[in-house]
Order: sequence, then structure tokens, then C-alpha cells
Amino acid sequence: MNQRESSGIFQQEFFIPELKSKTKADALEEMVEVLVRAGQVKNKRIILEAIQQRELLGSTGIGKEVAIPHCRTLAVSKLYAVFGRSRKGIAYGSVDKKPVKLLFLVVGPPVEKTNLYLPLLGKLCERLHHAKIRNRLLEAKDYRAFLQIMEGGE
Amino acid sequence: MGRNQIELLVIYQDIHLMLQDAEKEEANIGFSMEGKEKLLQAEKEMEKNIDIRYLSAYKRLATRFKHPIVPVQDGTCLGCFAKLPTSFSARGRADQSIFTCEQCGRMLYWVE
Repeated sequence: MNQRESSGIFQQEFFIPELKSKTKADALEEMVEVLVRAGQVKNKRIILEAIQQRELLGSTGIGKEVAIPHCRTLAVSKLYAVFGRSRKGIAYGSVDKKPVKLLFLVVGPPVEKTNLYLPLLGKLCERLHHAKIRNRLLEAKDYRAFLQIMEGGE
Repeated sequence: MGRNQIELLVIYQDIHLMLQDAEKEEANIGFSMEGKEKLLQAEKEMEKNIDIRYLSAYKRLATRFKHPIVPVQDGTCLGCFAKLPTSFSARGRADQSIFTCEQCGRMLYWVE
């Protein structure tokens, strides 16, 4: 993920250093709420329902304390990514049954000019596979540090 | 039938998209997809809450278009890029009825 892509997708207002939520449903709502507060989303209900429906297909908790809830929905006009961290961990129903500490919410429209939706999901999975990156994300002090990790290499 | 019909139709279309993406997500990214049957079931359940007239119209449009519901941006249908009448846009934002593009016939959803 290069600098332009990262800073364009991961905006400062969508960086949540410590989620208040303790449950999966609340965490997803807290992350969507960030988009609503930023004036980027009109209909929170549709996004939340689409994300919940997507979870039926299979948990987006990919293991190793990481979850990438995502969906494509008409309720947004461009691609958004929200980062949320819970140092205590949230029970998420992940594939490895472990609580989740790093959450990346990715929401995009059905059609988007950049066509980055699936590539972004792929890059996130690939990057978060590395323990070093996950540990650095858990320790990242602020948005700037987070962005550097997302832009950087392993 | 209490819920906003256009909202239900949007989620219904979102589910179709998820099912279309499922194969790519599993093969290229590695997401688990063992719940396909559950999502198909949820799709069927959702159909019960959608007015039969709208559901039939949606299914008819789905035979012609990949996305039967399209967003409206800057007063334009993003399915065929026809400019919508100003009064039409104002009504579409405020009203919860289903509006269709006069040019292409797709259902319209006001994102902004």
C-alpha cells in the first residue's frame, strides 16, 4: 500500500485508538458511527445491516486478533476504511475463536472509480498476516504512527 | 411491511453483491465462506418483507441490469447518467416511495 493510497483511504477522523465497545455488535456500530459523524454516511441502518448480513457468509474475524468487517453497499458513495483498536479484545467469533484487538471496517459502493475494494481487502489480509505489523499496530501511539505502519513494509 | 421499502431493496441488492463477491473473496483473499446457505436463507426471509410489486420490478430489472438499484448523485442517475428533473430529485430525497429513472427504468437511491 503506497503513501497516496494509505492516506487517501485511512483518514485521521476514521482512526479510533481505543474502542469503547465491549461487544462485536457495539464495536461495529461505533465504527460506522464515525462515518456518520464525519457526514459521510446518511443511512447508518443500511450499512450496519449489510455488515451483519456479510457476517452470515463467514466471520470476518480472520484470526490472530484481527477482524476486517466489510461490505459493498449503495449507502456509501465512495470507499471508506475505519480503524478501531481494543487492547482488551472483543469476542468476535473469529476463525481461531480468539478475541479481536485490531479491527478494520471497509465499506465501499457497488461500483467505484478506483476499483480498490477487493485489492484493499487483499492487502490488509496480507499485511496483517505479519506478527510484527500487528504488534506495531497495537502499540501505535497516534494516527501518524498508524499511517506509517500501513504505508511501510513488513 | 412496516420498513422503508427502498432500504430493504438496497440491502437485498447488497446481499446479491456479497454472494457475487463470495467466490473472489474466498479464492483470492482467503475469507471463510461456510455460511453461504445462511445468507441465501436471509435473502429469502427478506423477500417476505418487500412489497411484491417492488420485488417483481426488482427481479425484472435484474434480468437487464447488474445493479437494478443505482445511486443518484448531483441529480444524475448513475445507471445511465441521465439528468433527473429537479423536482423529481427533491421528492426522491424526502419521500420514501420507490422512484425509477425515466430514461433507463432502474430504481433510484439518493445516497447524499
